This record gives sequence, structure tokens and C-alpha cells, in this order.
Amino acid sequence: MEQRIQYNEVGKDAIKAMYRLELYLAKSSIERHLLHLIKFRVSQINGCAYCLDMHSKDLRAEGETEQRLYMLDAWRESPFYTDRERAALEWAEAVTLITEGHVPDEVFEIAKAQFNEQELIDLTLAVTTINAWNRISIAFRTTPGTYQPPKLARHSGE
Amino acid sequence: MEQRINFAENGQGAMKALFGVGGYVHKSGKLDQNLVTLIDMRVSQINGCAYCLDMHSKDLRAAGETEQRLYVLNAWREAPFYTEKERAALEWAEAVTLLKDREVPDEVYEIARAQFSEEELIDLTIAVTAINTWNRINIAFRTEPGGYVPGMFNSAAA
Repeated sequence: MEQRIQYNEVGKDAIKAMYRLELYLAKSSIERHLLHLIKFRVSQINGCAYCLDMHSKDLRAEGETEQRLYMLDAWRESPFYTDRERAALEWAEAVTLITEGHVPDEVFEIAKAQFNEQELIDLTLAVTTINAWNRISIAFRTTPGTYQPPKLARHSGE
Repeated sequence: MEQRINFAENGQGAMKALFGVGGYVHKSGKLDQNLVTLIDMRVSQINGCAYCLDMHSKDLRAAGETEQRLYVLNAWREAPFYTEKERAALEWAEAVTLLKDREVPDEVYEIARAQFSEEELIDLTIAVTAINTWNRINIAFRTEPGGYVPGMFNSAAA
């Protein structure tokens, strides 16, 4: 499928406004690895090829196992995710599939047991931001496959 | 339903980052503000965000929109009183919001491109993702609806 609009070139200012959300998230209260895991899961739900390629590479570069990525579609059935990750995945799915239950109380209770208010605000912003990127990349058919993760993090031993 | 988290007070950093996105669309000035608000209203109908419906209906009425066009917006396809440009924007906004079959179909893109330049369509898409974000935040945190007054966020969004 051919790319419809090169928004990185045609919409530089628009994308800059979007990157400001990423800058906020990078400094936010949510650990980076969990941010990437959530971005990968939401991209699975929305079906964004570019984003799946990008976030799988980011996760692998950070040391994530193949097994946990392949199993993420069925995380509920799997023992390999922590309670904090499970609460975040549950919250991310409910906020993404917003018309299916409008984020039920039970999901909020599970999330609250693992995240304080500030963390839950930041987690929610992460979920809405990847939902936005998914929509932009799907709408404009961004060509997937060529993303390269930053090498800086690994070399500096972060 | 009781508010879960006071996002406006406890999420000021996140909120500022988000206002940057809406502020971009406004400052960019490529789209008519009433068209953007009409899109905000329609996407909020789809996602079912009470706070956002109250806010954007008030904004539209304050800007001179008729009651009739708001009441019929749910069924805009069957109505004669939306312009071709509005219809193209509504079609695009619905497709980008719903991501049905995980895509935005070519026919919707063609209709949109007949009415909007590449730059305008990028801004429209950013606007659609921004209201999707606000819908999710207000639904997730159960922001209490009803008290919005037109213009109350103008200084924060500037």
C-alpha cells in the first residue's frame, strides 16, 4: 500500500505538536519499558503496521523477549506479565476500546491498585497518544518496516 | 457518576502538552474553527463523552450554529443541510475515529482530498485525534459534565 501523505514533510508543525506529547511522556512517571509495551498492545488493537514495527524494535532493543511479544495478544492467558503490567494492559484496552463499557469501575479499581493518580494520568496520556499515532499512520498509510531504534540508550548502559 | 480523578488539577503537565496540540490546530488557521468544533461534537457523539458534548454544543451555539443542525448531526448523511466540505470532514472524522476493519478506506480518502489540501487534511486528522484523546480522558476519569462555559479554556489553550 502506498503512502498517501508524507506528513513528516508536509505537516512538520503538526508533527512537532505531537512530539511535544512524547517529550512529556518521556519525562513522565511511567517507566519507559511499560510505555513501549502499552504502545505495542494498543497498536495491535488498532492494527497499525508502522507502529507495531517501531515498538517491537524498541522493546527488543531494550531487552524484551520475543516470547513476551508474541504472546501479548493473549496476555490474559499468560503467566509472563507482572500485576502492574496486567493492570496497565487492562486500562489501555478499556481506554482504547472506549465505547465498549466506557472504562468500567472494575478496570479503574485494578488500575488504582497498581498506579497512583499521577501515574494513571500519565498512563492514560500514553494510551491516547499512541491511539493518535495509530490513527495518523493508518489514515496516511505510513510505509512500515524501516524504523531503527535509538542506540544511545543501550550504549550508555541505561 | 462521580469524578474519579481531577485531571484539570492533578494533570496540569499532561494537560499543557495536550493544549499544545489543540493550540497548534487553532494557530495553524488552515481550518475553519466552526468546522473543527462540529467535528469535535460528532466524534464525541461516537465515543459517548458527556462532558465533551456539553462543551462543544455550547461552543457551537455561541458561535451561531442552529439547534437543528446539532440535533440532526447524528444522522448527517440523511440530511440536506451540511455542506460538501462538512460532509467530507465528517466522513473522514468517522473513519479515523472508528478505524473500521483497521483502515481508513480509499473512497473516504478521495472524498476528503476533493475538499481539503494535504496540509488541511493533516490538520483535520490532528484535530480528530485530539478530540479522541479528550473523549478518552474525560470518560476514563469521569469528568463531571454540565458546567462548561464557552471561552473558559481560551487562556489555557493560548
